[in-house]
Amino acid sequence: MSDATPSGDWTRTAAARRQYNLVGGAILAVAGLVLLSTSFLLHNPVPLTVRGAVVIFIAVGIAISLGLLRVQNPQDVYGGMALILLSLVAFVASNDLPGMRGFAFGPGTAPRLFAFTLGLLSLGVVVGGLLTAGPDISGYKIRGVVFIIGAILAFAATIRPLGLVVASFTTLVICAAAAEDVRWKETLVVAVCVTAFCCVLFPYGLNLPFQLWPRFFQLWPRFW
Amino acid sequence: MYDLISNLWLGMGVAATPMNIFLCLIGALVGTLIGVLPGIGSLATIAMLLPITFGLPPVGALIMLAGIYYGAQYGGSTTSILVNIPGESSSVVTCLDGHEMAKQGRAGPALAIAAIGSFFAGCVATVLVAALGAPLTSLALLFGPAEYFSLMVLGLIFAVVLAKGSVLKALTMILSGLLLSMIGSDLETGAERMTWGIPELSDGIGFVVVGMGMFGFGEILRNLENPGSREIINAKVTGLMPTLPDLKAAAGAIGRGTVIGSLLGILPGGGAIIASFAAYTLEKRVSKNPSRFGHGAIEGVAAPESANNAAAQTSFIPLLTLGIPPNPVMALMVGAMTIHGIVPGPQVMTKQPELFWGMIASMWIGNLMLVVINLPLVGMWVRLLRVPYRHLFPMIVIFCCIGVYSLNNAPFDVTMTAIFGVVGYWLVKHDFEPAPMILGFVLGPLMEENLRRAMLIARGDATVFLTRPISATLLALALFLLVLAVLPSLRAKREEVFTE
Repeated sequence: MSDATPSGDWTRTAAARRQYNLVGGAILAVAGLVLLSTSFLLHNPVPLTVRGAVVIFIAVGIAISLGLLRVQNPQDVYGGMALILLSLVAFVASNDLPGMRGFAFGPGTAPRLFAFTLGLLSLGVVVGGLLTAGPDISGYKIRGVVFIIGAILAFAATIRPLGLVVASFTTLVICAAAAEDVRWKETLVVAVCVTAFCCVLFPYGLNLPFQLWPRFFQLWPRFW
Repeated sequence: MYDLISNLWLGMGVAATPMNIFLCLIGALVGTLIGVLPGIGSLATIAMLLPITFGLPPVGALIMLAGIYYGAQYGGSTTSILVNIPGESSSVVTCLDGHEMAKQGRAGPALAIAAIGSFFAGCVATVLVAALGAPLTSLALLFGPAEYFSLMVLGLIFAVVLAKGSVLKALTMILSGLLLSMIGSDLETGAERMTWGIPELSDGIGFVVVGMGMFGFGEILRNLENPGSREIINAKVTGLMPTLPDLKAAAGAIGRGTVIGSLLGILPGGGAIIASFAAYTLEKRVSKNPSRFGHGAIEGVAAPESANNAAAQTSFIPLLTLGIPPNPVMALMVGAMTIHGIVPGPQVMTKQPELFWGMIASMWIGNLMLVVINLPLVGMWVRLLRVPYRHLFPMIVIFCCIGVYSLNNAPFDVTMTAIFGVVGYWLVKHDFEPAPMILGFVLGPLMEENLRRAMLIARGDATVFLTRPISATLLALALFLLVLAVLPSLRAKREEVFTE
C-alpha cells in the first residue's frame, strides 16, 4: 500500500507485448509439462480429470505463446494462470492422501477442497483478463532480485559452515550491490560496522546460540 | 464497572514493575524507529525481534511486541509529515496534509497534533479493550466449531472487502494462503501433506518465513524499483505547540478518527491501514470546506493518526478474546504467544488474568511514554532519515536473515524466505494484494480444524453451518458483505476511497 506500488499505467509496444507473451506462454507450458511428467512418476495414479486439466493448461500456455489468445490484461492472465498451476500442483501433491471416510474428513479433503475453489476462481481471473483490457506488467528490476536473493541465499549457505562473522559480512556486501547508486568504499565501512554490531548483539547481548567463526572441517555449502 | 477498575488496577500492578516499564519503553522506541524508517514495516520488525523475546518472561515479551506495533504508528507520522514518504503504510494519508503543513512551516503543530491524537485514541482504545474483553470472552464460550468456522469466513470476507483492487483476485489470494497452510503434517492423522518428501517441510511453512519474505524482502525489492527523491524539510522544527484554533479544529477530527479506528480495528481483516483511509475520507465528507484538504488541513493529520493508533490497539480484542488474529501483525503475536506456551483465546483472560490485564495496562503506559519522549526526539529521527536507503536495506536484510535463522537455527527457513520474497514481488507486479494471503495462511489450520470438527459433530451434515443461529448469522453477514463489494455502486465508491 505504499507509494512504491508499481501498478501504474505501463504500456509496451505491440512487438514487445508479442515477445512477452511468447516467453510467458512458453514458461507456463513448460511448467505444465513438468507437472504432467511428475504426475507419471507418483505411485498412486493421478486421476484422469486432473491430468486432463494439466493438458488443457499446457494447451492454453502454448496458445498464449503463439498469440492465438488475445491477452488483454497481462497482469490478470499471467497471475491467474500461475494460481491455476498452483492449484493443479496441489491436486497432484495431495493425490495420495485419503479423502472422506464416512462423514469424517481425511487429510486430503481440505487441501483438495481449497485447491478446487482456488482453481475455479483463478479461472475467473484468467477469463476476465482475456476479455477486458488492463495495464501491462511493469519491468522487473533484475539487478535487485539477483543481488538481494543472492545475498539471502549466501547467508543460508554460509551461516552453518562459516559462522556469523563471515556470513553477515558476505551478505551485506552482496546485498549492497543491489542498489544502483552503490558506493563500494562506504559500503565496506558500513558492512564492517554492522557485522561487528551483529556479532556483539546476537550472541552476547541476546545470548542466542550463534557460532562466530568458521568450522574448518565442514566447508561445503548447504542450502538447507 | 467495579470489575473493570479492579482489573485495570491488577494490570497496572503488573505493567508498572521497573522491568516491564523498561521493556515497554524499548518496544515503543524500537517501534517508533521502525515507523520512522520507510521501507520496513511493523510486521517484519516483530518477526525480526521474536528471537529477542525468547529469554524474557511471557508478559514482558508481549508488552514489548505490542509496544513495537503501536510505537510504529506514532513513528510513521513523523516521516509522513517531514519527508512526504509514509514511514509506515498506515500513515500514507497523513502525507497529504501533514507534509503540506510542514511546507508551510507548521511541521511542529502537525507533529504535535499527530502525537496528541494518537495519545487520545490510545487511551480510549485501552479502555475499550478492557471493557469489551469480558463480554466478548463470555460470547466466545458459546461458540462451537461451526461458529468459529463461520466467524473466520466472515473475517476473511472482511479482508477481501477492505482490500484494494479486484474482489476476485483478493479471494484467490485467500485461497492460496489457505492452500499453503495445508503443507506439512496433518494435525489429526499425522499424514505428510504436499511435502514432496522434503523433511524440512513436514512441520509446515512457518508464518514468520512467509510474512518476512513477502512483507520484508518483497518490500525491499519494490523499493529498489523507484528510489524516489527525499525532500526533508530542512528548516528547524519550531513552535511545537499547536495554537488554540488548531486544537479546536482538530478536536472533532480526533474524536471521529478514534471511533472509526476502534471499530475497524476490532473487525477481522481491518486494521490500522484501512482505519486511516476511512477516517480521512470521513473527515473530508463532514468538513464544511473540503477544498482545504490536501493543502495543510490539520484535521487531515489528526483524524488518520488517531484512527490508526486506535485500530492498532483494538485489533488485540479479537486476538485476546476469540483467539482469532484479525490482521497479519496479530498473527505474528499468536506466534509469539505460542512460543511462550500461551494459547490465545478466551481462556487467557480467566487463566492468566495478569497477562491479559498487564498487557492492556502497558498499552496505556506505552502511549503516555510515546507522547512524552517522541516530540523531543524528532530531531534525532530527522537525522536518521538522512541515512541513504542504499545503506539501510542491507542492514534490514541481514537483521531479517538472522531473525529468521535464529527461530529454528535452520538455514532452510532462510532459503524459503528468499523464495517468498520473490513471490511477494511477483504478486505486486501482477496487482495481487499479499495481505489477504497472509491472513488466509494464518487462519488456514484453525479453519480446517474447526470445519472438520463441526462436520464430525454434525455427522457429515454440511447444513449445520446454516441451522445453528449464530453461525448462520455470521455467514449471512459474510455473504451480504461480499454481494455489497461486488455491486457496481459500492465498487466505484471503494475505488474512490483508495485513489484519494
